[in-house]
Amino acid sequence: MEWKSDEKELKAAGAEPLPDGRCGLFIRGWEIESRKRSILTSLQLQQWEEELHTSHLPEMVFGDNSLVLKHVNTGTKIHFNAFDALVGWKHEALPPVEVPAAAKWKFRSKPLQQVVLDYDYTFTTPYSGSETVESNAEFVRGLSNESSSSLQWENCMDKIDLVALASKEPILFYDEIILYEDELADNGISLLTVKVRVMPSGWFLLLRFWLRVDGVLMRLRDTRLHCLFGEHMKSVILRESCWREATFQALSSKGYPSDCAAYSDPSIISERLPIIMQKAQKLSIEIPCKH
Amino acid sequence: MSDLDKQIEQLKRCEPLKESEVKALCLKAMEILVEESNVQRVDAPVTICGDIHGQFYDMKELFKVGGDCPKTNYLFLGDFVDRGFYSVETFLLLLALKVRYPDRITLIRGNHESRQITQVYGFYDECLRKYGSVNVWRYCTDIFDYLSLSALIENKIFSVHGGLSPTISTLDQIRTIDRKQEVPHEGAMCDLLWSDPEDIVDGWGLSPRGAGFLFGGSVVTSFNHTNSIDYICRAHQLVMEGYKWMFNNQIVTVWSAPNYCYRCGNVAAILELDENLTKQFRVFEAAPQDSRGAPAKKPPPDYFL
Repeated sequence: MEWKSDEKELKAAGAEPLPDGRCGLFIRGWEIESRKRSILTSLQLQQWEEELHTSHLPEMVFGDNSLVLKHVNTGTKIHFNAFDALVGWKHEALPPVEVPAAAKWKFRSKPLQQVVLDYDYTFTTPYSGSETVESNAEFVRGLSNESSSSLQWENCMDKIDLVALASKEPILFYDEIILYEDELADNGISLLTVKVRVMPSGWFLLLRFWLRVDGVLMRLRDTRLHCLFGEHMKSVILRESCWREATFQALSSKGYPSDCAAYSDPSIISERLPIIMQKAQKLSIEIPCKH
Repeated sequence: MSDLDKQIEQLKRCEPLKESEVKALCLKAMEILVEESNVQRVDAPVTICGDIHGQFYDMKELFKVGGDCPKTNYLFLGDFVDRGFYSVETFLLLLALKVRYPDRITLIRGNHESRQITQVYGFYDECLRKYGSVNVWRYCTDIFDYLSLSALIENKIFSVHGGLSPTISTLDQIRTIDRKQEVPHEGAMCDLLWSDPEDIVDGWGLSPRGAGFLFGGSVVTSFNHTNSIDYICRAHQLVMEGYKWMFNNQIVTVWSAPNYCYRCGNVAAILELDENLTKQFRVFEAAPQDSRGAPAKKPPPDYFL
C-alpha cells in the first residue's frame, strides 16, 4: 500500500496535497510530484531504442515514472527520469563485466558465425538528476531563455546535515520511484531508484544506482539532495554524490562474506564498499528582484 | 477424500504442507518424473504457461482464466520459484497436481529450478523462514533435478524454458542428455534453460557477460526445419504484453507472471491449444489486492539517509 500523508501534519506545515489525484504536495513555494506507472510496452521500448541508438535496454524500464521538484516562482525544476539516466549510460559506455561462468565458456567450442555483444549490460549511469528552468515562471519572464537554461551549482565543502535528517520530524510526503531495473539474466541486479521525503523544514532525496554482478563486483552510485526551506521562498540545496565500488574478491580478502545473498540490501553493506568518487555542490534559489 | 486431495485443497488456500508431507510428496513425484523423457511428449489440447515466480495468487488467476487442472491439461515451462512471496506454496501445489494427475500436467525445468539460483533469489530464504530449516528446500531442489528439460506437443510444437543450443540440432540429441543433476554452468542443458532469441544476430551471439547464448532467426529456421516442427514456445523473458512472437512466428515467448515482482504493471498470458493445435492466447491481470490474504498496512515513515 502507498504511503499516505497525514492531513493535520500537512496543514500545520502549510502544505497542500496536489489536486486531481496527483501524487505529491505544494510546500513553501515547491511543487513536489511523483509519478509511478507500468514498465514500457514493447512498442515504446522500440522507440526508445531508436532514440537512444541502442539495441538493448534494461528489462524493466519505468519510462513514465518520474519525480519532479519544482520551485514554482523561479521555474527551477529538478527532476528524475529513466530516459535521461539511460542517455548517461549510453554516453559513459563502460566495457562489459564478465561473469564467473565466462571463464569456463572461453573453453567451449564456438559456433560458426558467433557475434560477441559488447554493450554495458549493467546499465551503469553517472546520472545525478535532470534540471531545467522553465521560462514561463512569473519572475523569470523577460529574461533570455538561453541564459536561464541551466542551474548554477557551485562546488562546496558543506556537508548534508545527517544528524538533523535523522531527527524524527514528521514526514509529510514519502515515495520511492523505480526508474529502471534489470536482473542481468539472473546474474545479479542493476537498479536505479529515487526516494524522496518531505518534512516541514525541507526535502531530502536519494537517487541510487545499485549494481551487483554476482561473484564479481558491486557498484553503488548515490546522489543525495537536501533542500532547506528558508525565509521569503528562498531555498538552499546541497547535492552530494558518492560512488562506491568493490569486487567480491577484494571483499573476501578483507574477511567479509563473499556469497551474493549477503549483499541484497545496499543500505546495509554500503560502508564495506570503498569510496571511489565524492563531491559536494550547492545551489541557492531565490526570487530575483523585479527591475 | 484422499490425503493427497486434502493436501491439494490446503495448498489451494495458500497454506503450506508439513515438512513430513513435503518429503512424502517429493518421493512420489520423483517416481513419476524419473520416467519422463528429456523431450516429454504432450498431447493436445493443452494450455502452455510461462514463468510464475512464486506469485501464488496470480497463478490462481491463471487457473481461473485457463480452467482447473485436471479439466484443462497444462504444460508449465519452469521458473515456478524465486522472487515472489509464495514460492513454497506455488511449487508444492503444482507438484501435488502432478502426482495426482500425472498425465494432465507437465512441469519442465527453468533456470530458477536450481540450488545455486534459489539461494540468491528467494526460495531458499523462504523455506528457511516458513519451516525453520532448509530440509524442504533440499527436498524440492532434489526434485528439480528430475524435472524434464523440454516438451513436444503432438510432434509439432517444441517447448523449452530458455531456448536453443549450438551443440543441439536434433531432438534426439536432447534425449541423450543426462539431466539428473544441478543445472551446469555450460553445455547443452545449460543453454536450453538459459539462452534467449535475439533480433540483432542472425546466427549465434554471445552475451556481453561472457556466458549465455543468443540465437537469431536463421538458427530457429534451421532447427524447426530439421525437426519438422511448426514453432518453438519458450518463456524466460518478461514481456509487457504477456506474449511475443519473433522471427516470422517461428518462436513465441509466453510470460505468465502478471505485475511481475508486484510492481511492473505488465499483463500475463497463457497459450491455449485445442485438439487441432489452433492457438488462442488468454491474457490476464494480477489478482486484486484484497484477494491476496494478508491486509496491506500503512508502512511506517522511512527516515532513509
